[in-house]
Amino acid sequence: MADIEQLAESVDSLKDSFEAHRYICSDQIATAVYLAYHLRKPVLIEGPPGVGKTELAKTTAEMFALPLIRLQCYEGLDEAKAIYEWKYGKQLLYTQVLKETLDEVLQGAQGFAESVSRLHEFGDIFFSEEFLEPRPLLKALREEDGCVLLLDEVDKSDHEFESLLLEILSDFQVSIPEIGTVKAHREPPIVFLTSNNTREISDALKRRCLHLYIPFPDADLEQRIIHARVPDIPPELRRQLVTFIQDLRDLDLKKVPAISETIDWARTLLLLHTESLDPDLVRDTLNVILKFQEDIENVDAEIATLTNKAVRTDGVGPKVRA
Amino acid sequence: MDRTLTHFIAALRNAEVRISPAETLDAMNAVGLVGYRDRAFLKDSLALVLPKTADEKETFDTTFDQFFSFEDLAGQSVAVDGDGDGEDGEGGGEGQGQGEGLGGGKGSPGKGKKSKYAAAEEEEEEDLGPGAMAEPRSALARLLMQEGTTELTMRMAEAAEEADLTQIQVFTQKGLYTRKIMDAMGLADLVREIAELRASPQVPERRLGQELKRRRDWLRELVRDYVERQFLLHADATGRRLREDLLQKVKLSNIEHRNFRLIQEIVLRMAKKLAALHSRRRKVFKRGQLHVSRTLRHNMSYDGSIFDLHWKSVKVDRPKVFAICDVSGSVAAYARFMLMFLYSLEEVMPKVRSFAFSSDLAEVTELFERNKIEDAIAKTLRDYSGGSTDYGQAFQDFRKLCMDEVDNRTTIIILGDARNNYGDPRTDILKEMYDRSKRVIWLNPESRNTWNVGDAEMRKYTAYVHQAEECNSLVHLNRIVGNLLRAVA
Repeated sequence: MADIEQLAESVDSLKDSFEAHRYICSDQIATAVYLAYHLRKPVLIEGPPGVGKTELAKTTAEMFALPLIRLQCYEGLDEAKAIYEWKYGKQLLYTQVLKETLDEVLQGAQGFAESVSRLHEFGDIFFSEEFLEPRPLLKALREEDGCVLLLDEVDKSDHEFESLLLEILSDFQVSIPEIGTVKAHREPPIVFLTSNNTREISDALKRRCLHLYIPFPDADLEQRIIHARVPDIPPELRRQLVTFIQDLRDLDLKKVPAISETIDWARTLLLLHTESLDPDLVRDTLNVILKFQEDIENVDAEIATLTNKAVRTDGVGPKVRA
Repeated sequence: MDRTLTHFIAALRNAEVRISPAETLDAMNAVGLVGYRDRAFLKDSLALVLPKTADEKETFDTTFDQFFSFEDLAGQSVAVDGDGDGEDGEGGGEGQGQGEGLGGGKGSPGKGKKSKYAAAEEEEEEDLGPGAMAEPRSALARLLMQEGTTELTMRMAEAAEEADLTQIQVFTQKGLYTRKIMDAMGLADLVREIAELRASPQVPERRLGQELKRRRDWLRELVRDYVERQFLLHADATGRRLREDLLQKVKLSNIEHRNFRLIQEIVLRMAKKLAALHSRRRKVFKRGQLHVSRTLRHNMSYDGSIFDLHWKSVKVDRPKVFAICDVSGSVAAYARFMLMFLYSLEEVMPKVRSFAFSSDLAEVTELFERNKIEDAIAKTLRDYSGGSTDYGQAFQDFRKLCMDEVDNRTTIIILGDARNNYGDPRTDILKEMYDRSKRVIWLNPESRNTWNVGDAEMRKYTAYVHQAEECNSLVHLNRIVGNLLRAVA
């Protein structure tokens, strides 16, 4: 545990160690992790797809050397899949066993009332931890030394599920009607929730979380990210492709390229032994960064302008649009 | 310092950021951890705890910068000091630089200087030259003559609190509060001291008198600026709320262009509320179909004897809504808001298809998918609002275009005044729509008693709609769409 405390001592130390794990983050992001750890609050991460929301949780787990427990949310996810389930098969067997021993237990009992009280004396383990199958949320609470719990894409789940989460997020506990309340062990998990904003998350849930919005990075940060992720790429090409992508984000596109696309593109270009962008090359590899045919067609006319602008060494070409 | 935080939160709430008491507590914990020393760190931290949407974050940013902007004062004052002393060259230079560096303070130092010179010209001060000055006596005078301004600023904040500055409501109160704060800071003593000093026969005393007077004027500027900022933070929203309440009830066609933005915000908010209320999808049980696996699972605990049965259920699809809007001159203003409302409800009604007509009807759904709501509305109005109203033609077009897709889950909303220029009303088509759809709702922006006057065909049309409503303000719109959602969702 000492390690974590040391790492989370200040925002700067967190930032450095994120960087050591090849995750380049802004002050805002590091502050979020810092507060999450010290205030023991879950973090709700929002932002466009592909800016590293899930990656943040993964890297945090790696950095703190904690196990990562991940729950992918989807429509129809319920408590049986998220929190706990009974082991029906074993329970069924148990009843069989019970049936056979029933005669012994009730032997010599006089009348119905006595039989019932005998039954009560007989320890009932039908609903007990023995037969409990923990699902991700319960598992996370039971983790001895804490863990990182990632609830991915909460916005995809139903409203009912959101309500289920409230107890675990505010008090780090789960109530199981048949058993009672299960509380987190010494170290409560560090919880991350991600959302792509396909629907509004309820106020109740938001209230219990720190809210982190990760936007697209600026050119400088993106260059550093590419450097960390694709270290082999020549600096000049890196600068060019980041400039190109940044400009591309200003256009009206159905799906704007995110960091993950920039990284993919960098890898592609590296594979092709590219040294500098040129319009033909961009046209050929455009399908790596744009995922809709319509977008590709729209951008086609602009490729030459954008490429020229990116290749120019000063990076700030005249603002002429074709 | 907790009071500062609560005031800040009050200011945020005023700026429409929703903050619950629980979040206030979180903020206090965060501040306890982070402290007030590092401004950027504090801002980052509070930005995580308080605002919970991207919009709120933006509001938070500006509010934070406005609220915690005492540094501006410090920058200014040094600048003024430098100018005033003349000889204190390095200090002055530094001060200027600082004043420029802090964006917010740019305008004010100039103002301060101007008033200072103006005052000098007015009274034709005797030139006493540089030299020793007497010691200031009153508390305020001492604060004024100090090098740094931190204490002065703090004193000002305290005085503002004494004067209940956060209660400021309308802009005419600005003078009053400036006065109150100056008084609370001990203006009376200062004025008396200045008068005494200036009447004194000794040069150092007169010199101090001059200097104090100059700094008093500068202080007044400071306080006025401060009051101004606080006014923007605390009172602006109160006036705005009044305006919003009014706008909700006013006839939509009477709304002035400059209020469109505000209306749009109101519409979005109302729509959001409705969406939150209705976004829960109902489950419908398919009678007679056993959910085998679930039944088995649930009956395990009863020794496998199956008596607690579970049925298959399906979630109901969200309703299909067809909106047909008359966008001819007389109704255009209403169509704008109605479309805005419907498309703001995307979350609960993803299948809105909209049609616009004045004489010919066309589908504009795609326009709305590709553009932002405002742009789409503007384009719709531009392209379709010419021509004289012809409901008959519009219905005919609708039948040709998509009558096949109207089914018993469809709700059709027609917005129009039913003024058909004495043409054929084609009620037969409306009847067909009525028969096929789940519901036909007619919204008429005119008040009920003029529905059948002149060339209006409302009487004929009402026979073939499930519901005909008067709808000409946001309150109406909200109620009707709310009912609609309740009925169809």
